[in-house]
Amino acid sequence: MSVVCVIAPVVVAAWPAFSSAAIAAAGSLGYQVASETSRLALEARQPATPSEVRLEVPGSEIVTTQLQRDQRLAVTRDGVTITFSRDARGQASLCVRGEGLSEETLRALGLEMSQAVLQQYAYQRIMDEMRQRGLQVVEEEQLEDRSIHLRVRQWEG
Amino acid sequence: MGGLIMIEREFEITIHPTGQVEVHVAGVKGKSCLEVIQFFEKIIGRVEDRQLTHEYYEPDENVRFRLEQRR
Repeated sequence: MSVVCVIAPVVVAAWPAFSSAAIAAAGSLGYQVASETSRLALEARQPATPSEVRLEVPGSEIVTTQLQRDQRLAVTRDGVTITFSRDARGQASLCVRGEGLSEETLRALGLEMSQAVLQQYAYQRIMDEMRQRGLQVVEEEQLEDRSIHLRVRQWEG
Repeated sequence: MGGLIMIEREFEITIHPTGQVEVHVAGVKGKSCLEVIQFFEKIIGRVEDRQLTHEYYEPDENVRFRLEQRR
């Protein structure tokens, strides 16, 4: 082994690619898609109430057109709803709502989801690139700590 | 009948639940392994940490071969 490196994902994607990662992340955490809409939602622009928390997906940028600007995606699990959207600065953000849950709990759920989105985005980018370049994924497994492990082989002649 | 020499490279990739991606590059010596890291950096994000092992300082060399026959 020659080099070991750690890379932090930077999400620069159009809404379809971002929502694909968000849906996969939600599925991996047991959430179900509630709705995906492009309608302007006034509630998303109002200040968070005590039973909701807003977080940003760090290092994200949703590349979009004027028509796609207000697209949103909501997922639910056990009374908790997480809504993904693009904020005014173009960063992906998520709003976590759950009646009767503390801000700390909502924030923890949001952070877990935000990290799962980064994981799924990185996974999809790697798999797409491997396919395009003809690299062979010879092993893929989900580890107990939810890490995804891939072994990729490249033959050059 | 002709011979085709194929060079093998292998990457171990771990995508952590936090989103961090750890890449282990195997079968590549010398600075060419940095090209592999740059490739992953380009498609994923920014490198936070990098550790070079002793093999990095060895001359570039192909460590595994597969020989295929072409008719």
